[in-house]
Amino acid sequence: MNLFKIGLFVCLFLYAFLGYAQVRVDSVKQLSPIEVSSSRLTKFSSGNKTETLDSTLLNRYSARNLADLLSNESQVFIKSYGLGSLATTSFRGAGASHTAVLWNGFNLQSPMNGLLDMSLVPVNFLNEVKLQYGGAGALWGSGAVGGTIHLNNSATFNKGISVMANTSLGSFSDKQEQVSIEISKKRIISSVKLFDHDAKNNFPFINTAQYGKPEQKQSNAELKQYGFLQENYFKINLRQKINTRFWYQHSDRNIPPSMTQNVNVSNQKDESFRVTTEWERKGEKLQSIFRSAYFDENLLYSDSLINLRSKSRTNVFITEAENRFSITKFDLINIGINNTYSRANTKDYTSDPKQNRTAVFASYKIHSTKNTWNSVLSARQEFINNKAVPFTTSLGLEGQLLKYFVVKANAAQHYRIPTFNDLYWAQGGNPDLKPEKGWSEEASLIHKHAYKAFSWELGATVFNRNIDNWIIWLPNEYGIWTPENVLKVWSRGTEYKLKLNYLLGNFKVQLSGMYNYVLSTNQKSTTVNDASLNKQLIYVPVQNGQGNATISYKGTSLSYTQIYTGYRYTLSDNTEYLKPYTIGNLSIAQLFSLKTSKIKVYATLNNIWQEAYQVIAYYAMPLLNYQVGLTFYFNQPNGNTGL
Amino acid sequence: MKTKQIIYLSTLALAITFTSCKKDKPDAPVSTTTSAATYDNGVFITNEGPFGSGTGTVSFYSRSSSTVVNDIFQSKNSYPLGNVVQSMSVFNGKGYIVVNNSGKIEVVDAGSFASGGVINGLTNPRYFLGITNDKGYVSEWGAGGVAGAIEVIDLNTKTITSSIATGKGAEGMVKSGNNVYIACSGGNDNDSVVTVINATTNAIVKTINVGTNPKSIQVDANGKVWVLCIGQWNGSYSALVKTGKLVRINTTADTVDLSLPFASTSSQPSNLVINSTKTSLYYSYNGKVYAHSSTASTLNSTAIINRNFYGFGIDPTNDYFYGTDAGDYVSKGKVLRYNTTGVVVDSFTVGVIPGNFCFK
Repeated sequence: MNLFKIGLFVCLFLYAFLGYAQVRVDSVKQLSPIEVSSSRLTKFSSGNKTETLDSTLLNRYSARNLADLLSNESQVFIKSYGLGSLATTSFRGAGASHTAVLWNGFNLQSPMNGLLDMSLVPVNFLNEVKLQYGGAGALWGSGAVGGTIHLNNSATFNKGISVMANTSLGSFSDKQEQVSIEISKKRIISSVKLFDHDAKNNFPFINTAQYGKPEQKQSNAELKQYGFLQENYFKINLRQKINTRFWYQHSDRNIPPSMTQNVNVSNQKDESFRVTTEWERKGEKLQSIFRSAYFDENLLYSDSLINLRSKSRTNVFITEAENRFSITKFDLINIGINNTYSRANTKDYTSDPKQNRTAVFASYKIHSTKNTWNSVLSARQEFINNKAVPFTTSLGLEGQLLKYFVVKANAAQHYRIPTFNDLYWAQGGNPDLKPEKGWSEEASLIHKHAYKAFSWELGATVFNRNIDNWIIWLPNEYGIWTPENVLKVWSRGTEYKLKLNYLLGNFKVQLSGMYNYVLSTNQKSTTVNDASLNKQLIYVPVQNGQGNATISYKGTSLSYTQIYTGYRYTLSDNTEYLKPYTIGNLSIAQLFSLKTSKIKVYATLNNIWQEAYQVIAYYAMPLLNYQVGLTFYFNQPNGNTGL
Repeated sequence: MKTKQIIYLSTLALAITFTSCKKDKPDAPVSTTTSAATYDNGVFITNEGPFGSGTGTVSFYSRSSSTVVNDIFQSKNSYPLGNVVQSMSVFNGKGYIVVNNSGKIEVVDAGSFASGGVINGLTNPRYFLGITNDKGYVSEWGAGGVAGAIEVIDLNTKTITSSIATGKGAEGMVKSGNNVYIACSGGNDNDSVVTVINATTNAIVKTINVGTNPKSIQVDANGKVWVLCIGQWNGSYSALVKTGKLVRINTTADTVDLSLPFASTSSQPSNLVINSTKTSLYYSYNGKVYAHSSTASTLNSTAIINRNFYGFGIDPTNDYFYGTDAGDYVSKGKVLRYNTTGVVVDSFTVGVIPGNFCFK
């Protein structure tokens, strides 16, 4: 019995006791609005395309990670090195570090490499995922270049006890357990979410990169992960609220070889401690929010084959204060300050870097009486170790047109500061790097309508984005690899979305489709006769699309998703590419309703057309694989069963 | 009216969608991957391939037709070479292609490039040297990149018959007389020796201290062995604590009879090659290429080519200098050819990160 299991037992016991007390006290339940932390996203982003992956959808993916969710349900391209392996995002043809990932408003991007591994975020820890496309540097600061992923937690007061417990089994010895327990009283909510994931990931594949094309089993791909998220929400009085969160996670993964390698014995261990708190006071004239976070992230990468044992640790302290008020009834103003202090410790740097960043930001929103039209002007000035980085602004506009249409337009500046690796890597780190910066513009037209049992939504977006001073690593005249601000990348494209719902009594049909066309090209030569000039960036598909059909009747639901990913170049001169692939995933669920509880039985079949594909060149992906599971719900709010 | 507008705008949106679906399929690669009948009178170029994943390739430049054919291994054998193609040697009509990260040597017919088997079980192999019709040596960094060794290969069965432990990071090899001299580059650590092995008995004859991290090695017309030591960085990689050295070994006594240190504490010398008469050595240093006469006792202060190359070689048929340019390291690289006076003759596109040459 490991520490985690003891912890799980203690938590369950504690909650069972508290729950017993709860049942007696809260015999009368009443609905109250959901207490979502008042992010700037809802109030001060205007004109950007956004997508919401709500709790119903998240519940369908509760035994999966964020990379799975986004690659199946969004227009974000997920670059995955394989089952359970590193997965990063690309919004609109930007790089992996050009996505700001905000957990309840706090940026989770590593100061060392600017990334967050999406495969390390369990979906059952989240209540809502919002995707904000386009640059939003004035709102979110460094990294909000291609887009921003908002990972949100929320809870509702006065709901009593609710429990979710899930267990699932999958192909390649995949075993998972998730448990969520929430106790919600009039003025206090306390919840805990836990997960435990073990997998061998030893899937068979045909190794086309070896002599004789043998069938092989993926080796060195085992993973073991567990973690918990503990949250507390307090209503101090009618005006004041406070919440705290603690997210602990441990991940131990072996790194499988690529198809052209014969062996890989490397291993990666990630351990993170994330603590946050948020206080909010909503006065009649002034709303004040104060939030702070402390992240402690540890990574140990070892490869005995090359005698490598690389240990690193980062600490990030974030403090943010915001004040909101209106002058007239047509406007809303936000003024805030953010301080982010980061430090890292690794043998790969000459000394332990420390970075103190302070940003002042402000937004001015003007809106019509019925809030059908609004426009937001935002600005941000950040100082890194007292040195100013480019002043960043954005202007957005959105509003209703002809009753059934919404138009959106946004122009924004964005920037990304160099990572610690770029600045301080022991050999080649370049402390003189400038931030990457540029402009992005977009316009959307959305049509929404409902007619009898039908409702539908159509959306089209065009965007344009420039990134200057894009940092890449190249050897200098002495052959030493060093990063420089060299590339200039121009991305532009169109995105389409279509949703159709049919609802008649207990019978529900949902159809949706998405399609992207993205050109992302390098506009500047890095070398003489640079063959990458005007060519598409590597691993950015020009086209991708997906379609989903979900049918549900009473407690039964059937869902099919098909994803198409177009050609992706693997060389910057576009002379080599990976073939497109189409993946089909099918999931079936049956919900049994008891008196106060529900039981869901589900099965998911992934890659049902047995497509042999590669997301990254020579990294094998599994053919048909399944996941079956059983979920128990006690007193879950409607719609939270994923059906 | 409203319905009309909806239909109109929806149709418009769909129309944009379909018109924007222009041709998606990329153009076929321009490289001439038609497999030539035989690869004679030319130069094999080993291209390491993209970092991390992916495969290296071999290109062939024909001297007679002045044309280049890329990725000749895969086009002949229908599977890729593997991760990080380090070097290639031709011995007794067979090509031995050392694939570093895949831990193997692909053996091919040097004329047709048809696969003739694989030597597996190597750990970080670097170079192949043919000894007899039945025996070859492979230098390797070994486990952890520190357990340097020479793997003795039975060329008939393509298996490892024995292993000779050397200094750390066994790298360049050269045969002088009946002895093989192995530069022990330190691998993932540091070392400073040349291990000498008797090619008949496979026994270590001597271990010679030469200077920090000897990497490339050549033998001159007098049978003397030249070693280029690349030096060693300090802990923060800001300066060399041990600068590079060009060292000559007298193979009669197996002792160092000349040691020429480089002055720079910021640039490591690299890539030692020798011309056809084995009287003139070439190496890169400070972003330039320098020549060194095998009879000179001081280093040249003027470069012969004022640029840096990722790898280079000397064509023994005409003493042309072949240098590689890996560009941005994620696209096809180039080979530039220079005549004996250091003037560019021509250049051609090869594979990703061209690193080594094998002149046939």
